[in-house]
Amino acid sequence: MTDPATPNKLPVMIGIGEFHVGTEPMMAIGLGSCIGLTIYDKDRHIGAMVHIMLPDSSGRSDRPGKYADTAIPLLLAKLTEAGCHKASLVAKMAGGACMFEYFGNNLNIGERNAQQVRAILAANHLRLAAEEVGGKAGRTVSFFPGESGKVTVRSADGAAHEI
Amino acid sequence: MKLSSVQMDAMQELGNIGAAHAATTLSQMLSSPVEMSVPRITVVDISQLADHMGEESAAFVVFELQGEIPHGGYIIFYISKKSAVHLTNTMLGLTDPDRPLNEMDESALIEVGNIMASAFLDATAELLGFIMLPSPPALTIDMAHAAIQTLVAQMQEEINEVLLFSTELVCEEHKVDSDIIMLPESTTLTTLIERLENLMKSGP
Repeated sequence: MTDPATPNKLPVMIGIGEFHVGTEPMMAIGLGSCIGLTIYDKDRHIGAMVHIMLPDSSGRSDRPGKYADTAIPLLLAKLTEAGCHKASLVAKMAGGACMFEYFGNNLNIGERNAQQVRAILAANHLRLAAEEVGGKAGRTVSFFPGESGKVTVRSADGAAHEI
Repeated sequence: MKLSSVQMDAMQELGNIGAAHAATTLSQMLSSPVEMSVPRITVVDISQLADHMGEESAAFVVFELQGEIPHGGYIIFYISKKSAVHLTNTMLGLTDPDRPLNEMDESALIEVGNIMASAFLDATAELLGFIMLPSPPALTIDMAHAAIQTLVAQMQEEINEVLLFSTELVCEEHKVDSDIIMLPESTTLTTLIERLENLMKSGP
């Protein structure tokens, strides 16, 4: 039997295009050009995380978490449903790397993803409190709504730090 | 795109022929026998990609498939970081299995990847008369999921499922465990399957 109150329970894994809203730890592993975006309500201690792959949905609606332009309104709607107010929400993001320079010329998707996330957050009047984007290395992002919305970033060598 | 079991078998056979050439080449480079697994074709939803390629550190030597289809997808020489050290130690005459990888190793890995990808594509071209040429290589040594995720995001078509086409190559003597992975765009896949079906129809 597993104890539902066990403090060491595994984080909710957020795969590409997936999202989650709640108070439990969440994690997106191995972000390359993808962005792990978290939004935390500092009054209600609820958080949301999404694993964004591309900047624009171009009207597609089957996987709203996959695209920056649909993912952010989606998280905002879910957080509002949970009783959150926009004024107490803070966003953080990590990812958006360019891992293969040779292929990066016309399609640096990581950079475009990060730009689009910034633009859509601004258009929705959401504050971006921290970001760690770009570079050449992959990142694993963990989000702890239960610990004041702490966000940690880990690299392939295992080193982790808070952003 | 959905593949029938006959098409899966045909693609597996194609992988067999391509990988067999690559395995022979690797075996010659290492002067030791290299064993090869049966090619595995898995259709993976992008949200589940982390179950197949996790956080482990690995070297990826990546080539874009060019030729008759300009952006045909990717062919990847994948090797875990640990195996990469064993492989380059063998090539460079070194012995320390715990040393960090340096520029010399990176060149060696790119060279092996180049030779393997070319062997794979030569074999499939000979069989199908369909030319796929490798682009110049790109290398990363980092989290496996992050690397494959970046490639999937760069693919031409909007996709929710990835066709992972992989064959393991193992050299026990040098503790090298590597993989050749193909990530075809759907146009490439359609062409490969058409050619394979024609080949089977025309018979021996």
